[in-house]
Amino acid sequence: MIDTVNASALIARARVEKRAALDELAGKRLLAAYGVAVPESVMISGAEEVARALKALTAPVAVKVMSPDILHKSDAGGVKVGLRTAVEVQDAVRAMMASPGIGAARVDGFLIEEMAPPGQEIVVGGVRDPQFGPLVMVGLGGVFVEVLADVAFRICPVTRLDAEEMLAELRGAAVLKGARGRKAVSLDAIIDVLLKVGGEGGLLINHAADIKEADINPLIVSESGAVAVDARFVLA
Amino acid sequence: MKQGAQAILDRFMPLFAPRTIAVVGASTKGGSGANVFIRRMREFGYRGTIYPIHPSAAEIDGLPAYRSLAECPQAIDYAYVSVAAQHVPELLARANGRVRFAQVISSGFGEVDEGKELQDALVAAARKGGARLLGPNCLGMYSPRGRLTFVEDGSAEIGHVGVISQSGGLGTDIVRRGQVRGLRFSGLVTVGNSADIGPNDLLEFYLVDPQTRVIGMYIEAVEDGRRFFDVLREAKAAKPVVILKGGRTSQGRMAAASHTGALAGDDRVWIALSRQTGCILVDTLDQFIDTLLVFQALMPRPARPTRRVVLFGNGGGTSVLATDFYARLGLDVKPFGKETIDGLAALRLPPGTSIVNPIDTPVGTLQQEEGRIAEKILDTIFGTADPEALVMHLNLAAFVGRTRTDIMGNLIQAALRVQSKYPGKAHFELVLRSDGERDVEERKRTFRTRAIELGIPVYDEMVNAGYALAALQAQERFQHTRGA
Repeated sequence: MIDTVNASALIARARVEKRAALDELAGKRLLAAYGVAVPESVMISGAEEVARALKALTAPVAVKVMSPDILHKSDAGGVKVGLRTAVEVQDAVRAMMASPGIGAARVDGFLIEEMAPPGQEIVVGGVRDPQFGPLVMVGLGGVFVEVLADVAFRICPVTRLDAEEMLAELRGAAVLKGARGRKAVSLDAIIDVLLKVGGEGGLLINHAADIKEADINPLIVSESGAVAVDARFVLA
Repeated sequence: MKQGAQAILDRFMPLFAPRTIAVVGASTKGGSGANVFIRRMREFGYRGTIYPIHPSAAEIDGLPAYRSLAECPQAIDYAYVSVAAQHVPELLARANGRVRFAQVISSGFGEVDEGKELQDALVAAARKGGARLLGPNCLGMYSPRGRLTFVEDGSAEIGHVGVISQSGGLGTDIVRRGQVRGLRFSGLVTVGNSADIGPNDLLEFYLVDPQTRVIGMYIEAVEDGRRFFDVLREAKAAKPVVILKGGRTSQGRMAAASHTGALAGDDRVWIALSRQTGCILVDTLDQFIDTLLVFQALMPRPARPTRRVVLFGNGGGTSVLATDFYARLGLDVKPFGKETIDGLAALRLPPGTSIVNPIDTPVGTLQQEEGRIAEKILDTIFGTADPEALVMHLNLAAFVGRTRTDIMGNLIQAALRVQSKYPGKAHFELVLRSDGERDVEERKRTFRTRAIELGIPVYDEMVNAGYALAALQAQERFQHTRGA
């Protein structure tokens, strides 16, 4: 069930705050409103809130700094993963606050987030073509998308058959089916995300006027499901 | 027929078969573009009435002239307007509802920065005067069914290929080069800047037009991509749509921007469009013509998409190169099974003949029984194997001075007889290869004409025939998985 009221409210709030893009938490809430799985998370403002936050989550967790000034969180030292105890998380938060790049930025808070189960990294994206409107994209993560540009585009709304053909079109498609002794991942889970993002009544079509670009990178896909671990929506 | 379809046909038929034509821009001295248009229309055998429009002359090229569009004795189906840009809006504003379609040839509108306002004024004026607008900045229309033409020496034969071109010059090339290759048109419209009627409207017309079986589009920029996508997707490739897209690379895009004054989309979106709607993208004018020709001549078979191809002809190296190239296009030139090879071996063909597929038959073999040996070869193949397509290739230079009988004709007839013995079995393409010498070229021209009259698509080289087969395969596969 799509929560369109919540989805529009998220965008409206970012507009009021004059943001160029949704922050990661808002982006994930937008995805969640369309039924895309995102990790359980709690937003905190400082190290003293860590213990309470962890009660609602299952370790291991990741900590991510939330700041409108920081585009690339990892590069700024704003991401720490695989943390298991409250002490580890508190230390991570304090270290981030003390780092020069983050200390000088406007910080909205810190996102404590459950880690997704391991799987294949996929990228799902969106871009608005000046003539054809929203396009949805899929590619394999990492080197496949960054170096080889092994991606497939379709004009929204895509059908299930379109989504299936997008995956089949990738040169690295064999990786999804379990090349080199790895387990096959759920193609249905990827197709499901492509339809929720780029299908009829999906996120990109419904918010075509507001969303200029979208990146779900990575979407981690296992044998059974797909979780959007990072999300970025650039507003038009 | 759906009601919407009938409405579209009713709206556009006066454009494709106008009963009355007004010509603006012809002079008493002759020699202007509009005078040339009048001459061409007469030579083409136009049967309706032509009204030259002139501010003072009583007569133009022997036809009574009128002061304005509104003063013509009958309402005008099609007005050809070729006067200086700044005079056009006023002229159309005063048409007084007497003109259905006005094609504005004149340049100096939206394709240049200083003409953008004038183009807006033109659109408003046409609306005020009650005319639908084609162009501006185009060359005209070619519609054999209405004996309407802007092209010199266009064929009067009414065909099944409907074309929309955003370039006028390329439109001329498509008609002239296309007809030499065997294309016959249901229409060709140069749309220029598409200030009012654009490619989408004409695409909708061709899709419902019973005369049109295949649609070709030369596009530099799409005005309304959403509608284009929706129209194509709705049509489910029921008629093949072949798109020659200018400006698919960023360098080409810069050229496109300066040419028609609109930015073109990214290449990725065109690939997406073709995957989702089944339209066929081509890269060159020749590929465009070759692809239209295959769909004009051959009926796609969605139940059995083309994959296995038999190559048959003279030229060993040519066969080998083609086998490699066809494999890259997704076509199989696979060796025959035992039954076929045994059958061919039983024909006891002369040494030097390869019978595995590709079948390489030196001229000496083809000459046996005055070329009728080909019928036995093809009969054996069709009777024992299941190819989806047969490409017969003849290196004409090898035939020169070798024979007095009509071997070439016999070969083609043999192929046709086997075709009709096994109806619906395999598509048939003919490749007539020439070395460019005058007598060989002459021979090729003669045989091309004969083959085309028999409904056989003819290509210059194996590569061209291969691209055309790959397009046929794409169309068949799309219809197979997604057809209506």
